[in-house]
Amino acid sequence: MITSLIIDDEHYAREELADLLSESSDIEVIGQCSNAIEALQMITKLKPQLIFLDIQMPRITGIELIGMLDPDIMPRIVFVTAYDEFAIKAFDNHAFDYLLKPIDEKRLQQTLNRVRKDLKPRSVSILTPEQLTHLPCYSGSKLKVISIKEVEFVFSDLCGVHVATDKEQVHTHLTLKVLEEKTSLIKCHRQYLISPEAISEIEIQETGAEVTTGSGAKVPVSRRYLKPLKQIFGFL
Amino acid sequence: MSLILLLTQQMSLYLVMVYLVSKTPLFKFFAEAATRLPHKIFIYLIFSGFCIMATYFGEQTNDAIANTRAMGAVLGGLLGGPVTGFLVGLTGGLHRYSLGGFTDMACAISTTLEGFSAGIVSLYLRRQDKSELIYAPLLVCLVTFCAEMLQMGVILLVAQPFDDAWHLVKQIALPMLLVNSIGAALFMSMVRDQKTMFDKLSSAFSTQALKIAERSVGLLSKGFNQESSTQVAQIIIEETHVGAVAITDREHLLAFIGTGADHHIPGTPISSKITQDAIDNNCVMFADGVNMAYSCSISPQCRLGSSLVIPLRCENEVIGTIKLYEPKNKLFLNINRTLGEGIGRLLSNQILFGRFERQQNMLTQAELKLLQAQVNPHFLFNALNTIAAITKRDPLKARQLIQQLSQFLRINLKRTTGLVTLSDELEHIDSYLTIEKARFLDKLNVEIDIPERLLPFRLPAFTLQPIIENAVKHGTSHMLERGLISVTGKIHDDLLILEVIDNAGLYKLDNNSEGLGMNLVHKRIQNQFGSEFGIDVDCRKDEYTKVSIKLPYTETHT
Repeated sequence: MITSLIIDDEHYAREELADLLSESSDIEVIGQCSNAIEALQMITKLKPQLIFLDIQMPRITGIELIGMLDPDIMPRIVFVTAYDEFAIKAFDNHAFDYLLKPIDEKRLQQTLNRVRKDLKPRSVSILTPEQLTHLPCYSGSKLKVISIKEVEFVFSDLCGVHVATDKEQVHTHLTLKVLEEKTSLIKCHRQYLISPEAISEIEIQETGAEVTTGSGAKVPVSRRYLKPLKQIFGFL
Repeated sequence: MSLILLLTQQMSLYLVMVYLVSKTPLFKFFAEAATRLPHKIFIYLIFSGFCIMATYFGEQTNDAIANTRAMGAVLGGLLGGPVTGFLVGLTGGLHRYSLGGFTDMACAISTTLEGFSAGIVSLYLRRQDKSELIYAPLLVCLVTFCAEMLQMGVILLVAQPFDDAWHLVKQIALPMLLVNSIGAALFMSMVRDQKTMFDKLSSAFSTQALKIAERSVGLLSKGFNQESSTQVAQIIIEETHVGAVAITDREHLLAFIGTGADHHIPGTPISSKITQDAIDNNCVMFADGVNMAYSCSISPQCRLGSSLVIPLRCENEVIGTIKLYEPKNKLFLNINRTLGEGIGRLLSNQILFGRFERQQNMLTQAELKLLQAQVNPHFLFNALNTIAAITKRDPLKARQLIQQLSQFLRINLKRTTGLVTLSDELEHIDSYLTIEKARFLDKLNVEIDIPERLLPFRLPAFTLQPIIENAVKHGTSHMLERGLISVTGKIHDDLLILEVIDNAGLYKLDNNSEGLGMNLVHKRIQNQFGSEFGIDVDCRKDEYTKVSIKLPYTETHT
């Protein structure tokens, strides 16, 4: 059985694809998501082997979504689009799997056959932006997209990863690893990343240091990350 | 008395020579004041020549020579200035000196003085900015008279013995004073007349050319056809008074006005050989009727006897000709030849400009049409996908959606550019929204609140629909929450204001596809009604985008 996830913002588009997939007994649809934020959470939680990914979605596109995925849990991707000249060109150039809406059953079968032969995820980094500009977040049960410019620091604890702005703290399914690699945030502690622009004070302490952010929040700095942090501000 | 006649004879010879020179390009050297060296050298040579000739032609009188040398020296001085005048006088004087006689020295001195003093007068007049007075015959007469008086004085002072000199002066003074003064005056008046005629002619020519240009401007740029050609031909014949004017394209006669219009019928194919030659060889052809025979190729009774054919060029390619004719009993004026070629160039430029402008216009038109009628492919394929999904579950609903989609496409493909009623526009919007609502379900909510009395109001087609499509495409479809679009209409101070408000607040000025569609609607409204109408956008980020469409509300529109 190949576990798969359908990600599309249109209800009927998801149903249609689910219907078509139900005819293949070896494909198990373990979930449906209507936007990238839900999708990020579901992929992280369910770790599907295959995703059917619509490109045009609210706020965060399908392409942006895969840039947010931790390479460790990257599934095999089949793109689905109604019309997107540039993306289709890129898919063709790199032999990525894609389906056009309305979906042709024959083509779906061909794509599934290719996937069955080789379920290994392919690197799609060629399509994805180097840097994330927006972070998909949850505030309670409400979905939220936060601009990277607003972020003061992020940290992880037992509950997951938290994003702190000068106004609020929200939850995200992005991993610290992805955030460190794909944003301008820098690591200052095993569990903390900080935005250099948000630092207003660094107080040196015995175990390292403590940063005070623009909004007055305190962020710990461990000794091994202190030196690189000081270097950013020109202290040697 | 006989001396007067003899001197007059001499003077007449000069005048004949001047007349001859006035027929050559050299004449312009007389007609302008000499300011540059080559010009001064020319003046020096000519008038020195006059002086020397005058001495030779002079009449031997009592061991002296009665002559018209003073004319040369004075005119040389007036036209050339003090230095040239001095040199002319000196040359004439030295030559006279070489011939001997008891007045040789006196004549040499006086001629030099005459040239120099005339030069001083000329310089004075130029300094006073009255150089046109140099050409006034009366002034020239006066200057020459004074110069000759001076000469007589010098003869009396210098020539020895005084008695002989006194005798001589008594004899020659009157004839020389009279003839030289009148001669110089006549010379100058001839120069002046020629000069005025020349100026008048060129100004008449320029006026004519400018008038044709002014009257024909824009005619051919609207299109090179029978109608515009006839108008142009009419203008040319009125301004040039030639016998007939014809305009052709590469194959046909487009217009013919004037003598012979009875058998040169516009619309008929080109029959004359020289026109064909002008087109084939891309050159001006001229049949003057004398050296190169011209005969009408259509009717032997035709009275036209000469013809000038000028090709009309557009980017180096001959696209037609313009032809000027004169009847057999009239000579083809040179001026009309030059003018004809000028007209040819003028018309060619106009045609080129017109072609360029039309291409530009067509491009803009095509661009507008394309944008206006463009069905967003993303919308279309998603709609089809939705219908495909619904077909299995609810065939009846699918059928309805197909109906709505067809309706939407039909109106879009029809590409109406004129005015439609608001209720027509709302019907189109309804087709669009029915499909979008099927796609987005409860995520898209639209409230349309437009008073019924506004429904017959006429507005440019595709005014409201693209704005609503924008609100969906760039607004609510990007929302994670419920999207809400409200459409309202109201009348305010003779304005009809239609507002489309979405709750996404995602409008960005730099969004190309969004800006383009909105811009198009804005421009079309402004074109139709004026710059005070059109579109305003108000956006509060993440809260709302409000697009207001302002249209003039008058009873005539309803």
